[in-house]
Amino acid sequence: MAEDSTSLERLVLTRLLRLNAIVHGVVTGVVVGLTIFIATNWLILKGGDVVGPHLALLGQFFIGYEVSFTGSLLGFGYGFGTGFVIGYGVAKIYNSLAEIRESKSRSQ
Amino acid sequence: MDRQDSAEKPVIIIGAGPAGLSAAYELARLKQQPIVLEKSDKVGGLARTECYNNYYFDMGGHRFFTKDKRVERLWRGVLGGDFVRRPRLSRIYYKQKFFNYPLKATNAFIGLGPWESLRIMTSYLRWRLFPYREEESFEQWVTNRFGKRLFDIFFKSYTEKVWGISCSELKAEWAAQRIKDLSLKTVLLSMFVKPKTTIKSLIDEFDYPRRGPGMMWNAVKEEIEHTGGVVRTNATVVAIHKNGSGIKNVVVSSNGHSEVIEGSHFISSMPVTEFIKKLQPPAPQPVLRAAEKLRYRDFLTVSLIVDRPALFPDNWIYVHDPEVKVGRIQNFKNWSPDMVPDSSKTSLGLEYFCTEGDELWKMEDADLIELGKRELAKIGLATPSEVVDGCVFRVPKAYPIYDSEYRDYLAVIKTFLGNLENCQTIGRNGLHRYNNQDHSMLTGMLAVRNITLGERNDLWSVNGEQEFHEEIHENIDLEPALETVKDVFAQAFPKLDRLALGLSTGTMAAVVLFIATIALVLKGGPVVGPNLQLLSQYLPGYSVTWHGSVLGLAYGFATGFIAGWSFAFLRNIAVFLSLAVMQQRAERVLLKKLLEYI
Repeated sequence: MAEDSTSLERLVLTRLLRLNAIVHGVVTGVVVGLTIFIATNWLILKGGDVVGPHLALLGQFFIGYEVSFTGSLLGFGYGFGTGFVIGYGVAKIYNSLAEIRESKSRSQ
Repeated sequence: MDRQDSAEKPVIIIGAGPAGLSAAYELARLKQQPIVLEKSDKVGGLARTECYNNYYFDMGGHRFFTKDKRVERLWRGVLGGDFVRRPRLSRIYYKQKFFNYPLKATNAFIGLGPWESLRIMTSYLRWRLFPYREEESFEQWVTNRFGKRLFDIFFKSYTEKVWGISCSELKAEWAAQRIKDLSLKTVLLSMFVKPKTTIKSLIDEFDYPRRGPGMMWNAVKEEIEHTGGVVRTNATVVAIHKNGSGIKNVVVSSNGHSEVIEGSHFISSMPVTEFIKKLQPPAPQPVLRAAEKLRYRDFLTVSLIVDRPALFPDNWIYVHDPEVKVGRIQNFKNWSPDMVPDSSKTSLGLEYFCTEGDELWKMEDADLIELGKRELAKIGLATPSEVVDGCVFRVPKAYPIYDSEYRDYLAVIKTFLGNLENCQTIGRNGLHRYNNQDHSMLTGMLAVRNITLGERNDLWSVNGEQEFHEEIHENIDLEPALETVKDVFAQAFPKLDRLALGLSTGTMAAVVLFIATIALVLKGGPVVGPNLQLLSQYLPGYSVTWHGSVLGLAYGFATGFIAGWSFAFLRNIAVFLSLAVMQQRAERVLLKKLLEYI
């Protein structure tokens, strides 16, 4: 039992965390998607003469996006896609680097 | 005795304590007829019950609770309804005051008064802020966690009474072994497993045979004999003869006669040091030397009968006060009313921890009874004139000592014994392990399974410290929970690699900024990317141009790297701090109950 807990402690000190790329991608995607969705609808509800002129600039990257309810749904889709790619990419690169660094420290 | 076929020879069990008798009981259930050899005149070993004028005295106080269903089944099967369920109360006596046990801060502070409480808090803060840099002794280990003052009051004198060594000489490893290693698991279990609270905790009450644990072991003896097994008391094993890589026979001395008894298998619960010394031909020198080095602590019970129907409500009292030598006082009437034949009287067991042959051990019984009377009066529990009778019982080799070297010596012995084919050692002293009664029984049961079913149970790993978990996480099937926790732990708690997260976040940020810039450049128009251009307020030189996209790549990488690296750094610190806080909290919980495991 004592050895078990020692190995647990060793785990904290020496092992490197691995990220689940899919989970990381989905979570980042949902966060980015929801941010755009909420930000868009917030401006719609707020109203005014010109609704969300700055946020509308996202349309330069996300074709078809506009500050409207339909745009918010499209924005969610774009945000999710972009966020997923970023999150997935970060996790994949991180895991590869962590693997290299951990195997290097093991071999020393 | 003529040589017989192995199949016809009985299993020889040395020692009729809980381990030996459990082994014999299991064999008897399988229709085998074991021979149990016990050197004393009664069964029960360290869990025996002594009788004096129809007053029963439990040597040490043995609560009957276990997580192991096999042990529970044996207890219930043998004694049935002869158990009483008793409420548990045990307090600490210090400077003429009683303190709750397990320790409770408010109760301790009220009992000690505001001035002493202030000193304790000051001392606690001082040692938390400026702890011993190295924790080599038990004193340093506890002081760093509780402060010097609290250590002096609640740990020092009792620990020194029990082990007969100064706390500054007792290795920190000892405490670490019993507490520290367990705390991390306790933390993890606390985090992931919620104990059921509906079933009344075994800490608050326990089962006990009506006339003490001896009642159980006498009943087990009868059951063994009923099925043809033999339990011989006053039968001392004086030599153990080896034959090649196994044991051939044992020489037993009984009533002045010697006898050779052969067996197919041998199970021994006698102190492992004695077992090694009795081997013929002798064990190799390094093994004999290792056996010489293992040490034990002994105790004696001064049993007093007091002419009063009730003295105090506790089952037992820990006596921390350095003014008296007694370490623990058992009130057997509170364990079971049937321990006392006359309800107008109370029987007490004053436990003095000592070492075989020392001054206390060698004192005359009459002197010890007088000492007991004096100390009882000093504590204020009864006057000498109220003590109407008394006797003394000595318990040698009650506790295996875990000193700094015992692991190494035990490893030598373990390796040697591992090569004896038909022999297993069991029980607290057979394994030199601080097992409780139920774990000792389990070693006996598993030894039988190794013989009869060919299993390969490692008796040395039957865990004497499991009880810690049981008391904290009673009603939980521990092992599956621990496995789950280990999996979760392995996935969630290792550190994030700062450099790796910095590089990956940096790379992705660089790519995003690069693509965004290039997209706008390619899109063109009268004014290219005026809004993205605003980034230049933070990133000097950046522009929405081909040249700017390359600079953006570098800026994106640098910004992303810093963000990723910082996130990993802060996350690691947060995880480390929260684990440290939880571990300390768990340590404090365990430390409050430390006395039971001293």
